[in-house]
Amino acid sequence: MKNAMPLQSACKEFEEDLVLYYYGETSEDERRRIGRHLFGCLRCQGFLGDLQRLLPQMARTEELPQSFWDNYYRETVAKLAQQDERKHWWRSLIPQMKIWIVPAFGTVAMTVLVIGLLFGKGNLSSFTLRPAEKIPHEILADENQLQFFESMDLLESLSKLQSQDEQKPEAVNTQSSRMRFQSGTV
Amino acid sequence: MTAQVASAAGDNWRNLTPTEKDRVLENYQRWQRLPQQDKEHLREEWNRWQRLPKDERERIKQRYDQQQRRDRHRD
Repeated sequence: MKNAMPLQSACKEFEEDLVLYYYGETSEDERRRIGRHLFGCLRCQGFLGDLQRLLPQMARTEELPQSFWDNYYRETVAKLAQQDERKHWWRSLIPQMKIWIVPAFGTVAMTVLVIGLLFGKGNLSSFTLRPAEKIPHEILADENQLQFFESMDLLESLSKLQSQDEQKPEAVNTQSSRMRFQSGTV
Repeated sequence: MTAQVASAAGDNWRNLTPTEKDRVLENYQRWQRLPQQDKEHLREEWNRWQRLPKDERERIKQRYDQQQRRDRHRD
C-alpha cells in the first residue's frame, strides 16, 4: 500500500531539478542551490524522500541467476546456427554438383537425342543392322532363293489368293506392280 | 570362286530395299523353325507360283499387296 501513495508535491520551480538532483545529474552549483532550498523547504524534502523511496522500486529489475544467462546464450547460438543451416543447406551441394553435373547433363542430352532420332522418325528399323551373316551366303547368292524368302508370306496364302482371283479377277497395272518372280526353283 | 559367290551374294543383298531385307531375314528365320511338311508345302507352292502365267502372277501379287496395305492401315 505504501508503494501506491502519490508523490508529495514539491515547489514548482524545483520539481524537475529535484529529479535531476536525485539522479546526480546536476552541476555542482545547481546541487548547492538545490541543497540550500531543501534545507528550508519541507515540501521539497518530502518530494525528494518520495523519489528516493519509489524510484528504486520502479527501476528494479528481477535478478536472474547466472545459469539463466548461460542457457540463454547457448540457446541463442544454437538457434542462430540452426537457422543458418536451414537457409543454406542447398549451398553445400553446389561444389559437389559442379563436378558431375556437366558430364551427366551431356550424357542425358545425348541419350534423349538418340532416342528422339530413333523413335521420333518412326523408322527404327533403318538404324538397326540387318546382318546378312544371319543368312547363309549360298542363299544370298541365289536370287531365286532371296525371292523365295521375300515372297514366303505370299506363298503361304497363294491358294487363297488364287481362289479370290478366280472369283473376282481385277485389272492389273503391270507398270505399277513390281514383280520379282520370274523363274527358277528353290 | 568363293570370292565370286561372296560378291554375288553382296550384290543381291545390296539390291534389296531395307523392307525387303527385313522380310527376307524374318522369313528365313521363320523358315528354319517350320516343320518339314510345311517346308515341303511351301516349296510346292513356290514351284506352282513359278509355273503360273505371268499375268495371273501379277494379279495375285497386286491383290496380295492391296491386302497388306489394307491390313497395315487397319492396324
